Order: sequence, then C-alpha cells, then structure tokens
Amino acid sequence: MRRETVLIIGFGLAYAAFAALVTHSYYQLILTVVPIWAVMGLAWNLLSGYSGFVSFGHAAFFGLGAYFVALAQIGWNLSPWLGIPAAGVVGALAGLIVGIPTFRLRGHYFALAMLAYPLALMYVFEWLGYQELTLPMRRDAALQFMQFEDHRIYTWLAAGLMVLAMLLTGRVERSRFGLSLIAIKEDEAAAEAAGVRTLHWKLLAITLSGAMAGVAGGLYAVVLLVVTPPAVFGMLVSAQALIVAMFGGAATVWGPVLGALVLVPLSEFLHAQLADKIPGIQGVVYGLAIIAVILLAPEGVVWKWRAYRRKRARAAPAPAAASPVSPAAAAQRASGPERPVIFEARQLSKSFGGLKAVRDVTLQVRQGEILGIIGPNGAGKTTLFNLLNGFLRPDGGEVVLDGRSIAGSAPDRVCAAGIGRTFQVARPFRRMSMLDNVMIGAFLHEPSAAAARAVALDALAQVGLAEHAQRLADGLTNKQLRLLEIARALAGKPRILLLDETMAGLTGAEVEELITLIRALAASGLTIVIIEHTMQAMVRLVDRFVVLDDGAVLAEGEPARITQDPAVIDAYLGRKWRMANA
Amino acid sequence: MCAVLAFERAPGLIMDLPQFLENFLQALTAGLLTGAIYGLVCVGLSLIFGVMRVINFAHGDFMMLGMYVAFYAFGMLAAVPLFGEWLSPYLAALFAGPVIFVAGMLVHKLLVSRVTGMRASALASEGHYAQLILTLGIALVLQNGALYLFGSAPVSIQTPLASTAWLVGPLHGERVEIFVNQGQSIAALIALAVVLVFVAVMNRTRLGKALRAAADNPVAAVYMGIDVARAHRLAFGLGVAITAIGGGLLASSISFQPYVGLEYVIVMYAGVVLGGLGSVPGAFLGGLTIGLVQQLSTLFLPNQLQNAAIFVMFLVIVLLRPQGLFGTAARRT
Amino acid sequence: MLELRGVCADYGGVPALKEVSFGVGQGELTAIVGPNGAGKSTLFKTISGVVPVSAGSIRFEGRELTGVPAAQRAHLGIAHVPEGRQVFPSLTVLENLEMGAYTQPGQRAWRANIERIYNWFPVLATRAKSLAGSLSGGQQQMLAIARGLASSPKLLMLDEPSMGLAPSIADEIFERIVSIHGQSGLTVLLVEQRVAEALHFAKRGYVLEAGSVVLSGSHDELMRDDRIRQAYLGM
Repeated sequence: MRRETVLIIGFGLAYAAFAALVTHSYYQLILTVVPIWAVMGLAWNLLSGYSGFVSFGHAAFFGLGAYFVALAQIGWNLSPWLGIPAAGVVGALAGLIVGIPTFRLRGHYFALAMLAYPLALMYVFEWLGYQELTLPMRRDAALQFMQFEDHRIYTWLAAGLMVLAMLLTGRVERSRFGLSLIAIKEDEAAAEAAGVRTLHWKLLAITLSGAMAGVAGGLYAVVLLVVTPPAVFGMLVSAQALIVAMFGGAATVWGPVLGALVLVPLSEFLHAQLADKIPGIQGVVYGLAIIAVILLAPEGVVWKWRAYRRKRARAAPAPAAASPVSPAAAAQRASGPERPVIFEARQLSKSFGGLKAVRDVTLQVRQGEILGIIGPNGAGKTTLFNLLNGFLRPDGGEVVLDGRSIAGSAPDRVCAAGIGRTFQVARPFRRMSMLDNVMIGAFLHEPSAAAARAVALDALAQVGLAEHAQRLADGLTNKQLRLLEIARALAGKPRILLLDETMAGLTGAEVEELITLIRALAASGLTIVIIEHTMQAMVRLVDRFVVLDDGAVLAEGEPARITQDPAVIDAYLGRKWRMANA
Repeated sequence: MCAVLAFERAPGLIMDLPQFLENFLQALTAGLLTGAIYGLVCVGLSLIFGVMRVINFAHGDFMMLGMYVAFYAFGMLAAVPLFGEWLSPYLAALFAGPVIFVAGMLVHKLLVSRVTGMRASALASEGHYAQLILTLGIALVLQNGALYLFGSAPVSIQTPLASTAWLVGPLHGERVEIFVNQGQSIAALIALAVVLVFVAVMNRTRLGKALRAAADNPVAAVYMGIDVARAHRLAFGLGVAITAIGGGLLASSISFQPYVGLEYVIVMYAGVVLGGLGSVPGAFLGGLTIGLVQQLSTLFLPNQLQNAAIFVMFLVIVLLRPQGLFGTAARRT
Repeated sequence: MLELRGVCADYGGVPALKEVSFGVGQGELTAIVGPNGAGKSTLFKTISGVVPVSAGSIRFEGRELTGVPAAQRAHLGIAHVPEGRQVFPSLTVLENLEMGAYTQPGQRAWRANIERIYNWFPVLATRAKSLAGSLSGGQQQMLAIARGLASSPKLLMLDEPSMGLAPSIADEIFERIVSIHGQSGLTVLLVEQRVAEALHFAKRGYVLEAGSVVLSGSHDELMRDDRIRQAYLGM
C-alpha cells in the first residue's frame, strides 16, 4: 500500500477511535458533522480545487442528495442504505446536467451561473411545499433505516465516507485525470494545445464532484432528520464547502479535511456559546476565515506547510543549470524541393474588428523541412499559428493536413492529429513539476501514468532537461522555459512542430544551442515550422522562408534569396537602409 | 378576435379578457416602478464591474446596509416637522448614499484593493478568483454582522404614501382600472434622476472620463497620469453608494431583514448581465427588464417562483447571450 | 535630461534588462533598436514606472525616478505612447485627448496644444466625436501620439509606432513624428524596428539585444556597422 493510503486509513481509524470516547450527544453531533463537511469540501475541491473552475453552487448537489434521501424514505420507504448511494447518482446526474451548459462559460460567468442553481432550487422546493421535511421515525427497523440509538455509529459512517473520499481524491490526483485538471487550471489554452480534452475532464470532474456532494447531503439528512431548503440549498452550504477546502488548501487531499477539522468545530462551538447574544456568529466565523485566507495565505494551510518544508529542505544547493545534451551532430538532411506537401494553408484570412491580421495567406509545408516564417512585429505571425492549431477559426480559407481540411477543429483535435506547438510568451503549467508538464503532452498517446512518465522523461532528455525533471516550472530561465515547451510538445509525438519565437530574448550562445537542438529534431524526421522576428539565426537554420508583412505573404524562398530581396529589406530595415547601402 | 373566441369556448379555464388586461396592466405598472429602482441598483454594480472587472458578491449586502441606514435615518428625519412623513423616506434613501460611499471606500482600501487592481492582474488567474472569494467572505460577515446589529425581524419604512395610489381609468369600456402606487412612483422618479445625474457625471466631468479611461485600459490610464488605484477606490465607493440609494428607495415598498442582499445579488447580476457587463445604460435597462419580468411572472407563476423565474432567466441569458441583450459587451483592448 | 545607470528589471520572473545604461539629451531624438524580446518595451515601462527596476537608477531632469509612483511620472513630463497604440476605445477621440491632458501642464496648455495637434493630425479634428475604437489602425496610432503630446511632455517616448501598419501608413506616421520633433524641439525617445528610418533622424542610436545595450553610436556610425544588418538579416 502507498504511504498516503496508510496515512489516510490510519487517520480515519484514529478519528473513529476518538469519536468512540465521546458520549456527550452534542459533541457527538459535531464529530459527525465534521467529516460530512470534509466530504463536501473534498467534493468542491475535486472540481474547483483541481480545475480552477470555482463553484459557488455546490449546495445544489448537496441539497438534491439530502432531499432525495428524505423523499425516498417518506414516499417509497427506501432505506438510506440504498438512498445515500442513490443520492450520489442524483448528484452525479445533476453535476453532468449543470456542467454541459455551464462549462461553456469562463471565469466570472461560470461562478455567477453556479451561484444561481442552488438558489433557484431553493425556491422550487419551497414552492413544492417541502419547507420542512422530517424523516419518519422507524423504531421498528432502526438498523434498516439508519436510526441508531448509539450516535457514534453516525460518526463512524461519516468518517468512513471521508476516508473513501480522500482515497478517491488521492487516486485522481496521481492520474492522468488529476494532472489534466491541474493543467486546465494553470492554462486551459496551453492544455488544449498539448492535446488535453478539456471539456471531457471538466465534465468528469463535476460529475464525480456532484456525486460526492450528493452523498454528503444524503448522510446529512439521515443524521439531522430534518431537511429545509435554506439549510441544504442556502448560500452558506456552498460557501462552507469552498471555505473549508480553501482554508486547508485547494488541490490537496488533506486540505479540505484539515479545514473542516478546524472551522466546523470552531463555528459550532461559538454558535452554541454565543448564538443568543451574537446570532450570526457562524457566518461571521466563516467570512472572517476566508478573508484571512485570501489576504494572508491564499494557497491554504497545507500548501503553506509544504512551502515551509521545501524551504528547509533547500539547504542543499540547487542543481547547476544544465546545458542541453548536444544531440549527435545534426545529420545533413536530404534536401530537395520534391518532398511531399503534408500541411498547408489556403487563402487563410482573419480580422479582428476592422484590423485584417491575416489576409489570403497561402503556404505549403513539406515533409521533413524546416520552414521559417518571419516578419516584423504585428505582421500576423502568431495569428497565423493560432489559425493553424485551431485556437482561432478563420474568416476564410482552409487549413489542410494530409489533404483533409482541419480548419475549425478544436486545438486538442489538431494536436491529436499530429501538430504540436509552443508559444511566443512561454506558457508552462507553472505550479507543476517539469515532468508533470511534459506528462500532460505524453498522455495524448499514453493514457497510463507510468507509460506517460517514461515518454515524458525521454522528451525531457531529448531537450537536455532530464536532471531537472522534478523541479517546479515556476522560476525557470527563459531558455529552460523554451526547452520545456518543446519537450511538452514532443511528448505528444507530433509530426509537425510549430515553434513560436522560440529564440526571442535568448543570448547568442543559447541561440546556438537551440539551433543544434532544432536541427537534430528535424534530422529525426520531424517537420518544423518556426516563427521568428529576426532572420539572424534563422538563415542558418531553415530550408525555406515565408516572409509576412501586414498580414500577407511578402516573399517566399531560400534564405540566400530572401535576404537580398528588396521588399524584405524595406520591411525590416526600412527603405532608407536599402538606399543608403545600395 | 381569435383569442376572444378561444376564451368564449373555454370560459371556465381562463379568466375573461378585460380582467386579464387589467391584471396585465397592473403588473406592467408595478414592473416599471420596481424596475426603475432595480435599474439604479444595477447601475451601481455595473460601475464596479466596468471599472475594476471585479465581481462583487457583497454588493447585495451593501444594498442591505443602505436599507438599514435609510431605515434608521427615516426614524430620525420623520421626527423633524419640516420633513415629515412624506419627504423623509426619500431624504433617508439619499442619505444612505454618502454613508455607504464612505463604507465602500474603506472596505476597498483595507480589503478589496489588496487582491484587485493592477498588481492582481499580474497574478493571472489567482487574483481573479481571489477577489470573488474575498467578496464572498465580506458578504458573509456583513450579513451575519447585520443580524447581530439589526436583529432578524423583518422591518420596512412605513410611509403614508406607500399605501396611497392614483387610479388610472376606467379604460376599455369601464372595466379596466389600474392603481399606481404613489410612494413607488416617486421612488422610481428619484431613481431615474439619480441615474441621469450619474450618467452626466460619467460623461461630462474629468473624474467620470478618468474612470471610463481606467475601465478601458488601466495601464494606458497610468501613462496618462491617472491614479488607477484611487480611481478603483472611487468606483467601488460610488458603485455601492448608488446601490445603497436604490436599497433605501426599495425599503419603503418591501420589508427586509439582514439576508435580503442574497436574494437581490442574483437579481442585480441578472440585470447587469442582461445589459452587457460594464455598460451603464445597459445595466439600467437590464434592471428595468428584470423588474418587469418579476412582476409579469406573477400572472403565470405562483409567488414563490418569482425569484426562481429570475434565476432561470439569468441562467438562460448567461448561457445563450453572455454579451447581454442590449448592444455588445464592453470592449477592452 | 534622462539618464539610466545600470538598470536591471525582471518581467514575469525572467530577467528582461541587464545593466542598461544610456542618456538622452535635451531636444534630442534618440532611437533604440533591436529584435523582438530584446527588452525594448520593458525598458520603456521601467521609465514610465509600470515595471519596477530591480537595480540601478533612472534620473529625469536630475531627479531620481525609482521611488516616484507610475501615475506621478506623467505629471513630471514623461509621455509614454505604448506599443500597440492602446487608445481608450469607448471614449471619443476628443475625450482621449482630454485624458492625455490629464497632467497638470497638459491642463494649463490645453487650448494651445489642441490647436497644434489638430494642425499636425487634421484627421483627428474631423473625427473628434467618433469613438476611438472605430478608427483605423493608422488613425489610432496618430491619436496615441497626439494623446501623448496633449500632456505637454518634456520627453515623448514612442514604442514601435509603425507596428502592424501598412508600409505607406507607417511612412506617413514616421514623417509626422520627425516633423513634430523638428518643429517643437521636443525630446523624443523612439523604439522602432525599421532601423534605417529610426536611425536616419536620430542623434544617437542604441542597439538592445537580450536585455543589454550591445552597440551604440551616431546615425552614421550605426548605418555603416555591419552588425546591425547581421542582427536583423543574419548575413
């Protein structure tokens, strides 16, 4: 068993053992409620903590679970032993139904839409006449209906669920699923470009998350025996799930549990002591807790602790900066104009407002060549790449791969079809290790984490970053960032690699290293399209140039010819230069 | 004519036409009157979003505070013979503006500014959610703090005008009569006046133009010498103040308690999104529309589902047309 | 008038400027050229205060700028015309100019300035009531420059005024800049990728590469220097 699994089960047993010692019924209730909120926090965390899509509406799933269990027992005499798992199914379905339309939204809109679901449900349930639903007493079949004399059994059940939720979260975290969610949080567009099917993973996350919240709600109904719309659909329910998770640390297994362990007893205790004097004390505690977290430690307690440990561990000097393993001297690649065209743009156009960023661009990419696309700032180079990899839908024209039009395909589809890319401003997943960054790319063809890890390590070795595999992608040098992006793209086993200003801002020596690397990649059979602002290094790298200016193709041809082309010199150095140096 | 025929064929199912017309016109009137105040409330929220790109979850709670400020101010003003019971509800509502303006500036300076503005935008996605969650925390503290300060019993501003109405009609063959509540009508006119003053300030004054410039492009605004942090503080203060005035006006037609803000925060966002996030005239029209929808929905839906109808409408708008119904979304380069 | 000594700055955690030093004299037109990613825009942002310096000093008219908040620097007479124009799209042309005149000197000299601006850019007068977002790229660039001029600056910093414009329009903008400099005697600091145009009228030029000044000299020295040609054309 993994160490973490042992720890989680050990923690669950310790909690259950502690609960066995407490007999006072009020404290017993608090001990039962803590794991229920921990499960709610874990449910929120699974979606919002990992994927970064912050939900303000988890009460919707919780409330549906609670009402389902209550109504099923009242109406169909259904035992909670069946009702609670079924509440999970209800929560999962609700998650899926909410997710399909709502994931079309980003940021603010997503958060607002999620806020509306539970509030709308609250009014609907009030209207249906379920202002206060009491679970019928079944002394005759106490065991069957979970109506235990000994309240400690509820605590044990809740603790068991908490352990299950933690184990599930831990599994997700280590899998392709979890890494993909984190990549979405870090940079959704970059994840798509690396082949991550973002919608697929987000829907899976909200479905699972809804299931967990539904189960938590179901158990809540059984424990408290009374269900009211504000108590299960209210704002405080959603807020509490979010706050315990963020307080402890989002995107961790232990964070939501830690948050629940601290905040739930605190607010319950204060509520019991002061409720008659200060009626809103619970809400104030949660409000102040989340304000403090955001201002003082937005990453939460667990991450703060990890950073502290890492700091202490970093007494040892950081590993020296590596230079890329110089690949065997780039073989002279067979050149010749008759290599087949595998990728082309046909009369591509794109406008933003009144600005024509790309107009009628036609170009062909031949198998195994290095094609350089150059042009002054604002010439439309990056827009062209965004059209080629599916970030943008062209206003007109076609993108053709192997004779098939792919214009309008989503970026992850384009990536899966064999087109990898890097970005002008490097877009690593900053809070993931380099290895995890590259694994995201590797998952495209290797669904299992172990196989993806092997592919990722290979890709890192190929660019010379192997010894840094475990380092966080944050705080890398410019060169390392560029290499990391190349490795991430390589891990998806592309046939064509689009490099966007990979050499910008690098020193002369670093540029030489990159040229060697890119040549080696081309020698291994990869087709490369590279954008660059200047021709300096490019003339020694590329087989052919396409020059863009003002959104259109200005010239095309071999480096020697392009650098003498008067139109190109005008665009770059200005007409005055050509005349002065004629 | 067809409709009339249909009614005649099924007299038991549907009420007769004049009766329906009267109900419809009555709901329309009520919708326009509440809608004007909703519009004002939405304008305040829209200003904050437009200038700062901040979703303020606590906005409804600032409105709630405005209602209580107006409530207590009314208690004091009504005792002054000069103002009496007719003038004081409106003076009290306007008085809530400056009080909440100061409160908003303080909350911004102490809390909100630390996770928003130019510094936060450099933090990319982190800052973005930090402000959402921070304002959620502020909302919880305000709601529950208010519970302690003001108690949970619903209160309202009792005015003689609130129960006085003009009678319009009879129309349509003497069978249709509409009551127009006098208190609400005056409140709606004041709301409209506040919006017009605000629009004039934004379009005519140096301060208003600087706020709009900071909204368009904060970095370029800094190049112009505009203190963007101060602009944000002012926008936040002004935004909650305008909404507080709206709350104060609403306080004499509904009864409220400390959790009232929560119901209205969705109503407000529905209006703001409907009008296109960040557009001031759009927000007013959006709020007006929400008021109409809310009142007209009473013709078809039970009372409890009024707000559910607004939420559903909000979801439909956000999902189908997030740029709003009126014009395009606020542009930002 | 403007003097940088050993200026270093980070941008997004990556060092963007390394020990940059240079000076700009009163009334001079100074050009800074260099390829993408060399740090030219970051350099401008450190001068206008949007990007903090991590080491070194920036002095403007003898006054140390590093402690002065960004918004205050415009009032001292530094006008930054940013890369990509960045006009206020939902404000009218006239309102954009008024925002340029937000500085104290700009407010005082508003009438005189607006007259001169309309002389230099007549199209802005005819479109004064239009929304800036509805202008063409070239017109927006003119507005951005005019907005800078409306602040009555002592130093005008222009970041790639020809970017993304059709060549003929870029020429026109460039000629306008040169004539404004000639007529007003304003100190101008120019970042431009069209090296020859930039250097042609510049008293001095600096070549920035990977965050450092690698070359500097007068127009004639630089035009004769093969290294510039190499930097751009590679041969």
